[in-house]
Amino acid sequence: MNIKRILLGLIIGVLGGAALYTVMRLLLGMPALASNPWPLVAMAVTTGLIGLMLGIEPSLGLARGLLGMVFGFAVGLLLVYVIRLLLGMTPAWNPEPAWVTGALLGATGFLLGVGVMTDWLKWANGIHTPEQDGPPEGKPAWVRYFGADQNHKVIGVQYTVTGILLLGTAGSFAMIFRTELSKAGIDFLPADLFNTFISIHGIVMIASILLGVGGMANYLVPLMLGARDMAFPRLNSFAFWIAVPGALLIIMALFFGGWDTGWTGYAPLSVRGPLGIDFFMLGVFIFGFSSILGAVNLIATTITMRAPGMSMFRMPIFVWAVLATALIQLTGTQFIGLSFLMVVLERVFNMGFFDPASGGKVLLFQHLFWFYSHPAVYIFILPGLGIISELLPVFARKPLFGYKWIALSSMAIAVMGFLVWAHHMFTAGISDSLRVPFMYSTMLVAVPTGVKFFSWLGTMWRGKLSFPTPMLFVLTSIAVFLIGGLTGPPLATVPTDLHLHDSYYVVGHFHATMFGGFVFPFFAALYFWFPKITGCMYNERLGKIHWFLQTVGFYTMSLYMMRAGLLGMRRRIVDYDPALGVEGYQTVITWAGWIIFISVIIGVANLAWSAYRGKVAEPNPWGSRSPEWQIPSPVPEHNFEEPFEVVGDPYDYGVPGSIYVQMHPKPTSAG
Amino acid sequence: MKHGIRVGVLISVLSAAMIYWMRTIPWMPLEASREAKDIDWLFGLHIDVITFLYVLVNGILIYSIFAFRRKKGEEDAVGANLHGNTKLEIAWTVIPLITVLFFAYLGTIVLSDISAAAADELEVNVTARQWSWSFEYPDAGVKSTELYLPVDRQVKLNMTSVDVIHSFWVPEFRVKMDTVPGMTTNLRMTPSIEGVYKVRCAELCGTAHAAMLGTIRVVSQEEFEAWLQQGQQQETQPEDLSEEELINLGASTADAAGCLACHSVDGTKSVGPSWKGLFGSERPLTDGSTTIADEAYIRESILDPKAKTVAGFPDIMPTNYGETLTSLDVEALIAYIRSLK
Amino acid sequence: MSVTAHAQEMHHVEEISPARRLYMNRLGLWLFIISESFLFGGILVARFYLWGTTRPHLDQALGMSVTILLLASSFFANRAEIAIKHDDRKTFLQSILITITLGLLFLVGVVGMEWRTAPVTPMMDGEFNVYGAVLFFMTGMHAFHVLTGVILLAIVARLGAKGHYGPTNFWGVEGAVVYWHFVDVVWVFFYPALYLMGTAVGPVH
Ligand code: HEA
Ligand code: HEA
Ligand code: HEC
Ligand code: CUA
Ligand SMILES: [Cu+2]
Repeated sequence: MNIKRILLGLIIGVLGGAALYTVMRLLLGMPALASNPWPLVAMAVTTGLIGLMLGIEPSLGLARGLLGMVFGFAVGLLLVYVIRLLLGMTPAWNPEPAWVTGALLGATGFLLGVGVMTDWLKWANGIHTPEQDGPPEGKPAWVRYFGADQNHKVIGVQYTVTGILLLGTAGSFAMIFRTELSKAGIDFLPADLFNTFISIHGIVMIASILLGVGGMANYLVPLMLGARDMAFPRLNSFAFWIAVPGALLIIMALFFGGWDTGWTGYAPLSVRGPLGIDFFMLGVFIFGFSSILGAVNLIATTITMRAPGMSMFRMPIFVWAVLATALIQLTGTQFIGLSFLMVVLERVFNMGFFDPASGGKVLLFQHLFWFYSHPAVYIFILPGLGIISELLPVFARKPLFGYKWIALSSMAIAVMGFLVWAHHMFTAGISDSLRVPFMYSTMLVAVPTGVKFFSWLGTMWRGKLSFPTPMLFVLTSIAVFLIGGLTGPPLATVPTDLHLHDSYYVVGHFHATMFGGFVFPFFAALYFWFPKITGCMYNERLGKIHWFLQTVGFYTMSLYMMRAGLLGMRRRIVDYDPALGVEGYQTVITWAGWIIFISVIIGVANLAWSAYRGKVAEPNPWGSRSPEWQIPSPVPEHNFEEPFEVVGDPYDYGVPGSIYVQMHPKPTSAG
Repeated sequence: MKHGIRVGVLISVLSAAMIYWMRTIPWMPLEASREAKDIDWLFGLHIDVITFLYVLVNGILIYSIFAFRRKKGEEDAVGANLHGNTKLEIAWTVIPLITVLFFAYLGTIVLSDISAAAADELEVNVTARQWSWSFEYPDAGVKSTELYLPVDRQVKLNMTSVDVIHSFWVPEFRVKMDTVPGMTTNLRMTPSIEGVYKVRCAELCGTAHAAMLGTIRVVSQEEFEAWLQQGQQQETQPEDLSEEELINLGASTADAAGCLACHSVDGTKSVGPSWKGLFGSERPLTDGSTTIADEAYIRESILDPKAKTVAGFPDIMPTNYGETLTSLDVEALIAYIRSLK
Repeated sequence: MSVTAHAQEMHHVEEISPARRLYMNRLGLWLFIISESFLFGGILVARFYLWGTTRPHLDQALGMSVTILLLASSFFANRAEIAIKHDDRKTFLQSILITITLGLLFLVGVVGMEWRTAPVTPMMDGEFNVYGAVLFFMTGMHAFHVLTGVILLAIVARLGAKGHYGPTNFWGVEGAVVYWHFVDVVWVFFYPALYLMGTAVGPVH
């Protein structure tokens, strides 16, 4: 570390940011000094941090990306200003189109800065670039985690860590508004800020799920398939890094008036609100690219890069789950992008898609939005359910019960997920000729989901179960997702949904599905593959404490949410009527939320500390048959030094003499 | 086999006990409409099935945890060699399939029951706006900021919104329907118990969504008719009322018109400034000037809120009170605000 | 053989062969196209939801002309692809330049002419009614894709002129051309949805 360089970076950053801000104001025809000093301070702090990072390591991709983003914004703002000036439009400074363009160019600037587009730009100039091989030379090893690296394991870790950071961000917002809700009355959080906070909680949580799913898929799929990397490593790196400016834009919305529409952003409310809505919607839009491109990569990898002998029905079951997920992401994501894009266009160009006064239709938004966002909920859970199916046989020492049924049920859920979207619109004013068919189709999704549950029970039946931390998380996932799933059919039944819609019952339902389908399995996966990723073992006792607190906290939270909802507690309200008799429940929910919050901190701290100081793990601590456990931990740069062949079924635990993968022996040892 | 029998007994006993227990829990608030009966019945059936399935899955899970755990000295033992069982798989595909289809069928029946029109249904037009409700009785030609309903008579609401989506929900009636700009949505309900209820806006509609409440008064048929007649008569003039009557009317209008969603009367700061001590005080405005809150200022604040905006507050007060409030209402509100020292 | 030498050799064995690389690239591109077709499908859904069986009065001659331009361009794009696979550089370059020209003419027709003359309200800072909104949205999204296609083709043409492609190394050309075909196919659906289906309402062109 070079202290002088770091200080220099910091100073140049602060001064540069302040100068850029002032120059921008002058160029845009405003007085140099604003009455509100905070934007100037925010700008200086941001660029100061960038300078600091560049001082620590000048090649840091993240810092270069942020710098690129700042310049992209500046260029975008000026561009719109100049164009409007030239076309003679008044006022020339119109914040809405200017910031939207700024955001788009800012994201582009970020990608250029990080360097994920360098190879493609070279290609366009006819320069062939080899795929990156190994860590960057002549730089500290950790640098590769903060820049454009093409190794799927690095990218997997990048996804996962960013996901955990966003989980923490969204969880902290939850704790703030939960504390407000613990008593009736408005105590410290004004209504508009409350609305912004629940919205940001919702969408950032969803972003964190998408990143967590991306992390698991990127790290594990090539390993499980026996591939040396993903099909398109450059694209992979691009797909991760484009999510970062997306997430940043969503969080920046806070500083532009926030947005008070919830994560669903229903028009016409979203057409009217503050500038923050543009940031939120563009952020999600850009995030969508990440999903789509990641899905292209995962599908292509699964189809083309399987090890010899690994037929589709011999793949580890997690890969099936990821395949189904990727199919939804590939196709559905376009629709949320489309619906949000149309809102932004309506805001910027007054294009009246959703405005009845100019002939538009309000409900179009909801149809487009839910056509993605319902299938999206299966994006959240399918990988998690895949983790459950993957880990149960290991800890039961028994074959996975009904492998094919489980694999195909993932596909069935993915396909049927596209046929049920209007169940979010039962009270939106659609006709009964839509409500009834969608009631039937929604109900049907329970069937393939049930198949998974019963097959899991079949897997445990007459096994030899052991209960280290990952297994505990798996078991709670099943029990918690079960509550979430079973509370679905009353929502899917139109008459009961007339009462339940937009109440805390729904809030309880989806927290249970998302915790059971994602949060708990995600932690199971983190604990299970932790020794593989780091080569170290986590602390078992802390792991169990984390599990216990999270389980207790979660049960309490979601059950009381549902109870309050039935009594008439509406969603998304800063203040509730104590006459409903829900105040006591609300207090309990808040406490339970804090318990979850603390438990997750314990878990993350455990993993972080163990990665740094944990004792060295055995090569295959769980006795897994999966190929990634047959090689050293942490995994070598290109995974499998020796090719292997698949000669049996993946989950034949306890079948005498059966093997899954046959490593080709090295000639030297044979010699 | 031994395990199968044990777990079967366990689940039967446990699920019977659980279902019994769950039935004793009063899940829902007061059942104050005819539709509520059907809906609660269906919901109760759902709870029964959910309870059974929850006990079934968790029962087997917990039984397995105890019966099939790895005991000391079994470190390398392996489980039974079961790969699957097609008959079982088919069974647990088909049985849930039938169950859910049955529920969808019941849902269809109940839906058509609760949305069927009665011969003598009363029509009311509902208009939602940020953040208040107003009602119109087209047959009687009466407009109101409260929803008066006769007990045991079906009412059909024709609803729309002038700005963003809102949602009409009365938890005691168990029904809900969005009000969508540019569309008319319908909702039928039959209140069955006299009393005062609240319409709670259930769709996020901006800053004061939490406070978007309306009042419903379910009264006897006679009272309802009397109220309608009164509404049809010549408007009462402010002069006809005593100061005290005026203040009382102002207090109830403030509640019914949704003012109290944003204004407190006890000095606490809410979405808008509190009314306590407002009258006669000096008001700082956003343009830096000040003005005295006299009657003219308050009238202007209600009828044309954009004219002057109080410093420190967003300019979000609804602008259409001139249309929904009668001049009596406005005078009564002023009297009420004046009374809040 | 030493262990390290062997490991290096195995490493080599794992390297993906060019034929396999081509297969993977094609798969990737097609997956992307499937994704994009959902985008355009969604736009079409919006069009039918909002316009129903009506449409604005548009310049039929213009619509027909740009459609012909675009279809013709696809033909030349195809010729370019076949030519490079047969190592016929001259035809390749010629065809790809024609394709680019036709694509640019299409953009001039749609953005430069239709956008100015369509009987819907103005471009910026005005209110759009739903006819204007959908028209500009559909043609705009499509034009954006045409533009990216033109840029891709231009890059390919430039690299081709430098001699980067040949009968064994044609993926750049094929990728750009397949994408171009896709953009054309989208127009094949958009053209009737904008110009032909339903009854024309509103001010006459
Ligand atoms: C991970 C996410 C996830 C998952 C998996 C699900 C799964 C399901 N969801 Fe949920 N849902 C959400 C996330 C999720 N949901 C979210 C986020 C919202 C709110 C969005 C918003 O407005 O903000 C929502 C809202 C929502 C609504 C709209 C409510 C409203 O606003 O009015 C409905 C209505 O039908 C619904 C239904 C269902 C159903 C039927 C399932 C089914 O897939 C469940 C199937 C599973 C089981 C049923 C359990 C296992 C099965 C068996 C043991 C077999 C036997 C079962 C039977 C015979 C019943 N959900
Ligand atoms: C994965 C999804 C997810 C998760 C995990 C959570 C977690 C929590 N949620 Fe949230 N929630 C949503 C998704 C999620 N939520 C969505 C989509 C909505 C709808 C929004 C809308 O209506 O638009 C919603 C809405 C919602 C509401 C309704 C708001 C309203 O309608 O008024 C409430 C109210 O209680 C709530 C509470 C909580 C609480 C207390 C937690 C707690 O469990 C939170 C506990 C905290 C953590 C899990 C984070 C701890 C992590 C760290 C501290 C990290 C440390 C690590 C580092 C620093 C690296 N959530
Ligand atoms: C959505 C919230 C909202 C509702 C509903 C609302 N107001 Fe207001 N009101 C405000 C806000 C915010 C202000 C302060 C900003 C301004 O002056 O416009 C305000 C200001 C006022 C003032 C001036 C107060 C002062 O401090 O000088 C009066 C008087 C007033 N409102 C009366 C009413 C009455 C009467 C009603 C109901 C018929 C009503 N308001 C409904 C939000 C609301
Ligand atoms: Cu109106 Cu919420
Ligand atoms: Cu859904």
